Amino acid sequence: MSMRTEAMAGAGATAIAAARPSTGAGARARTLEERLGPPDDPGNPLGFAAVLAAEERGELVAAAEQLLHDEGFGAEMVPAADGGRLERADGLARVIRPVFRRDLGLGTGYGVTSLFAATPVWTAGTAGQRAALADILCGGGRASVVHHSMAHGNALWSGEVSALTTSRGFRLGGRKEVVINAARARALVVYARTDPAPGSRSHSVLLIDREAATPGRLRTLPRQPTTGLRGCAFGGLEFADCPAPAGSLVGEAGGAVPLALRTFQFHRPLCAVMVVAAAGTVLRTAVRAVARDGGGRTGERHRPLLAGVFADLLACDSLATTVLRALHLHPESADLAAAEAKYLVPDLLREDLEELATVVGRPGRAGHAGDGGEVDREMLAKLMRDLPTASLGHAGTAACQAAVIPRLPLLARTSWLRADDPGDALFRPGLALPPLALDALAVAGRSDFFAAALAATAGRLRADGVEHGYGRTLGALVTALLGELAALRERCVAVAPGDLGVLSSPEMCALADRHALLSAAAAALGVWESHRGEPGFLGDPAWLVMALLRIGRRLCLPDLPALPDGCVDRVLAEVADRYRGRRSYDLYDEPVQWADAP
Amino acid sequence: MRRLGPAAGGDHGDGNGGEYGNAYGDDYGDDYGGDYGGDDGGDDGAREVGEPILASGADEAWSRVRQSVAWHGHAVVYADWRDWLPRVLEDADLRPMLGSRDWQRLRGLPDPESRSRFAVSRLLMRCTAGAALQAPPGSIDLAYKPGGRPYLRGCDQIDVSLSHTGELIVVGLNRRGRIGVDTEVASRRIRYASVERQLCTPDERALLGGLPEAERERELLRVWTLKEAYTKALGQGMRMGFNQFGFSRGGESLLTPDGRPASRGEWSFATFEVLGTYLLSVACHDVGLEGAGDLAVGTMLDAAFVHEIVGLLGEK
Repeated sequence: MSMRTEAMAGAGATAIAAARPSTGAGARARTLEERLGPPDDPGNPLGFAAVLAAEERGELVAAAEQLLHDEGFGAEMVPAADGGRLERADGLARVIRPVFRRDLGLGTGYGVTSLFAATPVWTAGTAGQRAALADILCGGGRASVVHHSMAHGNALWSGEVSALTTSRGFRLGGRKEVVINAARARALVVYARTDPAPGSRSHSVLLIDREAATPGRLRTLPRQPTTGLRGCAFGGLEFADCPAPAGSLVGEAGGAVPLALRTFQFHRPLCAVMVVAAAGTVLRTAVRAVARDGGGRTGERHRPLLAGVFADLLACDSLATTVLRALHLHPESADLAAAEAKYLVPDLLREDLEELATVVGRPGRAGHAGDGGEVDREMLAKLMRDLPTASLGHAGTAACQAAVIPRLPLLARTSWLRADDPGDALFRPGLALPPLALDALAVAGRSDFFAAALAATAGRLRADGVEHGYGRTLGALVTALLGELAALRERCVAVAPGDLGVLSSPEMCALADRHALLSAAAAALGVWESHRGEPGFLGDPAWLVMALLRIGRRLCLPDLPALPDGCVDRVLAEVADRYRGRRSYDLYDEPVQWADAP
Repeated sequence: MRRLGPAAGGDHGDGNGGEYGNAYGDDYGDDYGGDYGGDDGGDDGAREVGEPILASGADEAWSRVRQSVAWHGHAVVYADWRDWLPRVLEDADLRPMLGSRDWQRLRGLPDPESRSRFAVSRLLMRCTAGAALQAPPGSIDLAYKPGGRPYLRGCDQIDVSLSHTGELIVVGLNRRGRIGVDTEVASRRIRYASVERQLCTPDERALLGGLPEAERERELLRVWTLKEAYTKALGQGMRMGFNQFGFSRGGESLLTPDGRPASRGEWSFATFEVLGTYLLSVACHDVGLEGAGDLAVGTMLDAAFVHEIVGLLGEK
């Protein structure tokens, strides 16, 4: 009857994937990258051509799903303590990159949505719930989340399920029209309304095993066509007075909202990484397009664009990866930056993608017919359709703002330009981390490690010269950014914490936007500083000043410096090197599969 | 104000010819007189672009903005900037209303006419956005992306676009995706032969090349404003090669250079004639995430989340 017994009954074959000897996340990411093969190879059954053809049929590439199944991708979403491979948040972010480099739909539809459903169970579930869900996911089964409706919800978030408490457990009623994998998820994690009163104790999380549900009481509604993620199967679910045992409750009764706030901070930087991975591929196709165009006048015009997008990618990855590391290092206060990563990265990179669209898939010169330009153009158009759905559009933004805005008045009073330097470990992707303890993730922490790092790095920069030509530019940029933090503080100090009328205003939305940009700047600065003087591009100030200048422009800061001479060339040389060397456009600089002869 | 071209299907009456309406012969009518046709704007399922709303400074325009955004997902508002004078420049609140960046820009403009036009354009944008967001116009942070595209910082429930020509100022806003608006003096003539290769796809050249000269130049102008509107919606302006995408004969759907469909109904296009002398083209995107339509900033922060966070902050 319980999910655990149900799952255990058929468990014989399912634990195979998880039982494989676990190698490091980086090695597993490399294996996935190699097995998925060069996406631009028209003969690759898992490549772009196959992705587009499958999307046309409203499907994901079946062979790619099978490959992920064979590789035990589901076990990546399961904590090691529960028999899976999830040990480090930044490690999971490495493993998903090869998938998202190829298709946002595959990564979303096959893998990470199961994680987003499962985290409440990993965070607050009983041993039995954890074991049952681990078994499903390690065996290649899926979990789907049935969210409650949230402010400014779109079709993906509107509608909700309610649950009445009975002597034997719960009875669920209501429907949700758009749930990913509604028809094939074995486990359903339902954010059900259990109390009609407003406030934050209104909903509870219930773990429902679809195979244990009373026949006819849990109905799968028809598939819903979507504009984005067209290959993913979205459908409705209807609970018709559907009984669920008392043991379905995950965590406390009324605990769904706090649990959502705690677990979302793991999902959010992963969302940012997905977009970084996807956008990296677009940059690669853009580099190819410019190279094929002969690097003539077109190439000249696009040099700053290609370099700028790469700088943005490094800054965005710095933000996302640092937040993932903060989940280990600062679990009490990572939620602010996590919300900002999700708020900022999809939007910032979407602008870059729109600009890259002026390069990608331009009809080649005579003689280049069939050079993949058409496929690249269609892949980019697909990504632009998929992005708003994957990042939930404005509804996703509003949810992040709800996590950020109430914090600003207090942080302005107690933390900004006062708190201590968070230290180097945050900014070094390679460095060891304490274990990930999802149950230690807290909400509404009172520190802001990015603001602290920004101030601390600025102090050190003044004392410590940077390479000629770059020192002055960097100094001017950091001074401007610190000035912006001081201006933000002035504005936020004037707001009474908890004044809901003022918090829900365009002014506060704008201040939160500015703060998110400062966090990205601090992350980039931190990553650069902790790699200074080492081999590798991350310690080169060229990408940093370019990234900070672009952030400064987005902040509309006055009196920004010009880029040092040769800066664009230096960043562009790295872009070209990584193209020729088939290495990733992210912090890891790792091998990627790419067919095009450099 | 009138809608140009065959926006509502091909089975309309003969109409009265009109200055632009019959450029494609009798199979497409010019029944662009007013209300929304039965067809929603083309065979690709795109939605029809809503009628532009005249804002002469009266409050009644703002309720129509809210209606249009609720109904169509977008609103296009236009004004003759002279109608807003002298009140605008005399307003003591102009400076706080514009914000420091736009105030600086205003002060840097050389002559009273461009200052007036600039001030009205920003106020029109703020009032239109304020109507949709249900927020005071002065509370909105009207900012500019590095490429120049205006946006409402922190309020991504609405995308905005701005255009002006002569006395006309146009603001577009859209809750379903990107929007671009572009305007041009309707009587402006561009020599087709000197721009066709830069502005038109082979498919469009085949079509325009067969028209009588006067019609060809009028159609060219419409195609041009549509292309401007589309590339503005994409945030790219002229960086996008105008000969790399084209429009169908009625100007309502997007085509590849060789004339195949290039969108699946996510985009809607329309051209209007406003204030008697201007063309106004609109490009409207729909990302397909239909929401409940609540755009108010006041309800944007989820009450349960905020309640929880504020409660925790209070405890600490």
